[in-house]
Amino acid sequence: MVKRALAIVLILITGYWLANALAQVPFGADKMLVGKYYLENVKDQTGAVNAVTAVVVNYRGLDTLGEVTVLFIAATGVAALLWRKKRERTAKSEGSVVLQTGSRLLLPFIMLFGAYIFIHGHLTPGGGFPGGATIATAFLMLYLAFREYEIPHKVFEPLEGLAGMSYVIVGLIGLAIGGYFLFDWIWQTWQLGHDNIGKLFSAGFIPIIYTLIGLKVGTELTGIVDNMVKEPKEGGQ
Amino acid sequence: MEKASKISRYLYTVIVLFVIWLFLTSSLDPQELTIGLLFSIIIGALTYEVFTERGLANLHPRRIAYAIAYIPYFLWAMIMANLDVAYRVLHPKRPINPGIVECKTVLKNNAGKLALANSITLTPGTITLDVKGDRYFIHWIDVKDASVEGASDNITRPFEKFLKVIFE
Repeated sequence: MVKRALAIVLILITGYWLANALAQVPFGADKMLVGKYYLENVKDQTGAVNAVTAVVVNYRGLDTLGEVTVLFIAATGVAALLWRKKRERTAKSEGSVVLQTGSRLLLPFIMLFGAYIFIHGHLTPGGGFPGGATIATAFLMLYLAFREYEIPHKVFEPLEGLAGMSYVIVGLIGLAIGGYFLFDWIWQTWQLGHDNIGKLFSAGFIPIIYTLIGLKVGTELTGIVDNMVKEPKEGGQ
Repeated sequence: MEKASKISRYLYTVIVLFVIWLFLTSSLDPQELTIGLLFSIIIGALTYEVFTERGLANLHPRRIAYAIAYIPYFLWAMIMANLDVAYRVLHPKRPINPGIVECKTVLKNNAGKLALANSITLTPGTITLDVKGDRYFIHWIDVKDASVEGASDNITRPFEKFLKVIFE
C-alpha cells in the first residue's frame, strides 16, 4: 500500500516536472532549424518525394544501418537464448478448416502487400521496416494455423545475411565513388531517374535499400517467431 | 479432387497477384506494371503451392460470372441480416431463441467451405462455430428447425447454389 502510494506520488512529481519543461516551448511556433533544409532540398538531392524516407535512408543512413544491426542482434540473441539441439513445435491441436484455408488463401496477398509497402517507400508512407513486418505477419499466420509448419531455414538465414551485407556493400560502393559511406551513387553520380521524380523508378538507391531492409526485416522477424514457438523435445535437452 | 498441373497453378497465382497489384496501385504507369509483374512472378513462385489446387480452371467464365453474381446476392442477404438483428435488439420482448444446430453441406472443396462458413457468419443471425468434414456447427439466433435437414435448408442451401458452381 505504502509502496503503491509512493510510486503514484513519484510519477505525479515526474509528470509535473516534464509538463513544466514542455510548457516553456510555445505551441505552434516555427522550431525548424535543420528541418527547413530537408524540406527545401529533398527533391533535388535525393529524388524522394517522401521526406521522411529521404532523411532515414539518405541524410541519416547510418542510423538506419544501426537500427538494422539492433534488429539483427535481437534475432541472434533470441536464437542464442533458446538454442537447443532438438526442438519442435508443441501446438496440441490443428486449426479448423476455415482457419487453415483462410491463411493459405491470404498468404500471397499479404506478401504482395508487404512488397508493395517497401518498394513504394520513397513515394508513400511506410518503407522497409513496415513492409518487412507485414511479410513476417504472413509467416506468423502460417505458424498459427498449421501444426507442422516450419520455414525453410536453408533459404531464410542466408537470405537474411545476404540482405544485410548488400546494404553495407551499397554503402561501401558509395564510399568508393563519392568519398563517404552511404553516398547515393545511383542518384548523384549516375543521375538515374532524374526525369521521373514522383514515379517508381526514382530516388536513387532508396528503393534498393528498402527492398534489402524489407527482406532482412521480414526474414528476421519470422526467424524470431520460429525460435519462440518451438520448444525442446521431451528429454532432448 | 485431383490437383492441376504446376504450371497452371503457378500461372493462376501470378494472374491473381497481378490483378491485385493493379487495384493496389490503381495506375497503369509502365514502371508500376513492370515492378508489379516482377513481384507477382516472384511471390507466385514462392506461394503457389499453398495458394491454389486447381490452377487456371478457377478462371472458367461460368465460375467468374457466378462469382460476380454472388456479390450483390450476398450483400443483399447481409443487409437484411443486419436489419433483422437490429430489429431483435430494439424489440422490447427481444424475440430470440438461440441454439446450436448442425448442418450438412454438399461442398467438398476447402475454399468453398471457407466461403460458405464466412457467408453464414455474415448473414441472418447465424455464426459458424466449427466445420468438420461436411458438417457445419452453427449458432442460430432464432432456431426454426433443429433437425439437420431442416437447418441445412434454411442456412446453407441458399448459398450453396452459387458456391457449388464457383468452387466445385
